[in-house]
Amino acid sequence: MYIDNIVEGFYNVVHDSRVLLFVNYDIDAICSARILQYLFRCDTISYTLVPISGIQELRLAYEENCEEVKYVVLVNCGGTIDIVELLEPNEDVVFFLIDSHRPTDLCNVFSSSQVRIIGKPEAEENIPEFDDVFREDSEDEEDKSDNSGGESDPEENRAAKRMRLSEEAILKRREHRLWTEKRDRFVFNYTQFSYFGKASAVRMFELALNLSKDNVDLLWCAIIGVTEQYLLGKIEKQQYILDTGVLQGHVSKLSHNVDEETAEAVATPVTAPRISFIKDLQLALYRHWTVEASLRHSMYSACKLKLWSLKGERKLHELLVDMGLPLAQSRQKFCAMDMVLRKEFHSMIEKLAEKYNLDQLVFTSFILQHGFRNKFCASDVVYSMLALLESTSRDRSSKDCFLEAMDALSRSKKNLLEDGIEKAKLMLTSIFKMVQGALDMQMVVSGGPFLYFVIQEGALNARHFSHPHTLILLAQFLLQAHVMVKKKSLNLPLIASAPLNVEDGTCLVVGIPPVIEDSPRNFFGKAFEQAAEKTNARAQLDYFDSSIMKLKTEDRSKFFDALAALLS
Amino acid sequence: MPLTLTQRCCHLLAPLIPFTVVFIHLSDDDGVRQVFEEMRGLYDQNVAAANDSTADPDGTAISSIAIRHAALERNKRCLMAYVFNRSKKLRNMRWQFGSILPPEIKANLCEPEIQWFNSYSKCLARYMKSIGGQGLNLAQDVKPPKSLYVEVRSLIDYGKFELDNGEVVLLKKHSTHLMSRAQCEPLIIQGVLEQINH
Repeated sequence: MYIDNIVEGFYNVVHDSRVLLFVNYDIDAICSARILQYLFRCDTISYTLVPISGIQELRLAYEENCEEVKYVVLVNCGGTIDIVELLEPNEDVVFFLIDSHRPTDLCNVFSSSQVRIIGKPEAEENIPEFDDVFREDSEDEEDKSDNSGGESDPEENRAAKRMRLSEEAILKRREHRLWTEKRDRFVFNYTQFSYFGKASAVRMFELALNLSKDNVDLLWCAIIGVTEQYLLGKIEKQQYILDTGVLQGHVSKLSHNVDEETAEAVATPVTAPRISFIKDLQLALYRHWTVEASLRHSMYSACKLKLWSLKGERKLHELLVDMGLPLAQSRQKFCAMDMVLRKEFHSMIEKLAEKYNLDQLVFTSFILQHGFRNKFCASDVVYSMLALLESTSRDRSSKDCFLEAMDALSRSKKNLLEDGIEKAKLMLTSIFKMVQGALDMQMVVSGGPFLYFVIQEGALNARHFSHPHTLILLAQFLLQAHVMVKKKSLNLPLIASAPLNVEDGTCLVVGIPPVIEDSPRNFFGKAFEQAAEKTNARAQLDYFDSSIMKLKTEDRSKFFDALAALLS
Repeated sequence: MPLTLTQRCCHLLAPLIPFTVVFIHLSDDDGVRQVFEEMRGLYDQNVAAANDSTADPDGTAISSIAIRHAALERNKRCLMAYVFNRSKKLRNMRWQFGSILPPEIKANLCEPEIQWFNSYSKCLARYMKSIGGQGLNLAQDVKPPKSLYVEVRSLIDYGKFELDNGEVVLLKKHSTHLMSRAQCEPLIIQGVLEQINH
């Protein structure tokens, strides 16, 4: 069941009781949760928030926390699975789904009241009609009626009746079979691709807006949510531009309010938080790094200039020369560069973009300023939070990381964010090195209908890649780079795999769609499921993003073979 | 060097000067006793001088009696100040620590002070019980809180915790809750929960 009116249908319903919040491990979910937390705090709606990484964990956490809870909110999790079947809740428990994963499970869509999905179904989702998927008379009932009919028959004319009955039954069965086929086709078409819808953080910001509780901090959360979707390639560029357009409207509205207020007050608080709409470069963290390092480690510039090769290195230097940026300066921290160079950097690189085939280098983004010294760009915050989220170690569990990433969003904890930026630099550097190594050693192997790349156990920095987001970033970088080298593989998708837990012998597998496709629709979810079923591989399809899975390392080659057979 | 007149009582008051410090010095019973002795001596001398006054034609005795009397009065004021300030500190401690004092503070008190403290607590408790229907703990929020609910994070696996309204919350490590301040305050002090600041 979809809820259009988010205030009436969701917020006012949960207003007077305790709410259980389950939040998935991704930046968008964290941002949405923060907006919700703020709203709940304003209206003193007590809640319990639990971070959730997978389907099994969701079930466990629900069992632990379900006592006397009437309303459960799932943020970026659970939309793609049948919630009622998984959790077996009491009749009176209501689930609210705020999930950007698509396609939404049909049982959730057609649930009469227990599962409520916040938002409107979008036209491109192509949700099949109810009658096409569900039918009142199931096969069991038919069989029963057949049997009862048979029993109540009088003795005479038995043969004739049986004939007639069987004819009827055959007709019925035929009809049923046709219908089932049709249904399977519908369902298959619907669930074939996994992709992402509107960012949950934006939806939650709309809720805040409708409650007249929107402010700069909440808007910033929404911006971070959208930027994450874009940077991780979850949405198309077109969608991103549309989303930022809407957000820009909110930005100018909020900053306009501030202007008016300050005109009345005598002192203008220069230090008040302020968001501005800017043209940013697709260079990761360049404001906090050196120009050279940022050019080298950003996916876009590195792939276009082929920076992993010697030729690329020369090209990079050529670019720097053209920009008039001395090497010594380009190896300094951006904020320590010459004032003149720093001011001209943006325009210089923009001017040269076309010459070096970097025409998509500029994109629109936002920047948050507060105080005198703090200036953070949306993409920098996303990288920083990603790095924090995935920086587990022996004495830092993934939940610690989750909470840290969540805290990094608050303005008073700037040191956490800066810590994250340092970690993000490490992450990007190790991704780049991995890509360089893979291309040099030609470790990207063609498996027929797809390419695959396996990080062996014990490889340098292998443990960095045992987290889904980092592995996805690596896979995207690698595929882009590989396509630059071998133009043939333009229409091949890539599967990347990294060791997850050496003791258990498990590995993480992610699949990403081919470069040539504009839309980031991913067919690997369904393919993984079928291949695992066919080979009886010990696989865990535990992630809410179905294109990520855990697999026993021994079963990997078998699994890839099955996948190749399935997709060719 | 022997102390001059009334100097001893100044010594008595010296440790009480920083009034804001939350610490009470060892009660100086010995000092008090010495001041009393000094006063008794002065009084005796005065009585003797007064009885002798008829034998003193030039009136010098009158002036010495006046000086001794002034000294007596000053000692009295100092003693009063000593007792008053100590009891004021004790009263503040009642609001700060509740009716049971930490042992290191209790060790520094003398017997009458402990008695005074107990009767003060009793008095206060009786008053607080009489407010409203079921009483009100005045000592809980001396400064009014900004909000009745606070965001807290569990630091350990504490297990189930029953709220006032009968709801049960599972306090598991890493979970975040919005709870009423009154209920989570003791847990924060115990180190089970941590308040999140924004």
